[in-house]
Amino acid sequence: MLLRGLSWLVAFQLAGTALNVLFFPVIPGPILGLVLLFIYLMVRGGVNEPINEAASSLLRYLPLLLVPPAIGVMAHVADIKADFWAITGSLVISLLVSIVFIGWLMQVLIKRQARKKGGV
Amino acid sequence: MTLEWHAALDAVIHHPLFFVGLTLGVYQLAVAAYDKTRWIFLQPLLISMVALISVLLLLGIDYADYKKGTGLLSMILGPATVALAVPLYLNIRRVRQVLWPTLITLFVGGLFATVLGVALAWFFGAETMILKTIAPKSVTSPIAMLVAEEIGGAASLAAVFVMITGIIGAMFGVELLRILRITHPAAQGMALGIIAHGIGTARALQESEEAGAFAALAMSVMGVLTAVLMPLAVALIA
Repeated sequence: MLLRGLSWLVAFQLAGTALNVLFFPVIPGPILGLVLLFIYLMVRGGVNEPINEAASSLLRYLPLLLVPPAIGVMAHVADIKADFWAITGSLVISLLVSIVFIGWLMQVLIKRQARKKGGV
Repeated sequence: MTLEWHAALDAVIHHPLFFVGLTLGVYQLAVAAYDKTRWIFLQPLLISMVALISVLLLLGIDYADYKKGTGLLSMILGPATVALAVPLYLNIRRVRQVLWPTLITLFVGGLFATVLGVALAWFFGAETMILKTIAPKSVTSPIAMLVAEEIGGAASLAAVFVMITGIIGAMFGVELLRILRITHPAAQGMALGIIAHGIGTARALQESEEAGAFAALAMSVMGVLTAVLMPLAVALIA
């Protein structure tokens, strides 16, 4: 079962790579594979067990798989030092302001939808 | 009889599986530390990074060698990224009733967060490479790293920005929203999921099941929207 699901995921990734070369050079292959799999699930109307099993097994270890590429930050110590305050300032301010804006927007939109439904 | 200690050590360090073994070991220690303490700072990815970089520096090993030695793990990253389609599909199905408020908030809010982050970094005088790396800061790490690399930033640095954003967002997000009387579970979930991705989703789940569901959805959709639209937008501007 696990093997069959993994084969599907690999097949979608390879299809994504083909699409990347053929039509969408700016969108990474794995992302196109993700979109293809999403469309497949929509058309199918559900997640079959092999894909579900393989996906949850892989996603459980996602942080581990990200460790090797993340270690590359070793090469960027100078870049971080040069822009330390710009990075810290923009990350912190933008995330705090955005959280408030998004929370407020969602709350307003949900209340409006509820009012509309109540009015009909 | 003298044992060939040096030869044995040498053979172990230069074995093709050495770096995979080292990474697996360090990662499991980091997960154990997180499980034991539940401290939000002890994100396994972040702790593994710090520990492994220290080891590599100590042993005087180049990143290029380490990267080559962990190709096995990197190879599985592609299918794992494809697998993100499954939670995306399941989450979208769960919140069909409020689909429009959700999608509008995702699009407007996601764009707002992205533009604000880049604009501030630019205003503070950061370099172009840093700007391109900050752009995908609010998305889940695998996608942020792919996107950063695609548009001319640094994948590894993107992982660090993503972690920082996630940790701070998860630490202060809910409290900040509560002070401003934004208490609807869906609103809390969306804010945490869009900004603080996986770490924020875990925090939203502590608030309520509903907040967690919205956070998971927001994180999935935000990731895919960013992955598809950001490279296109950058290609258009440049």
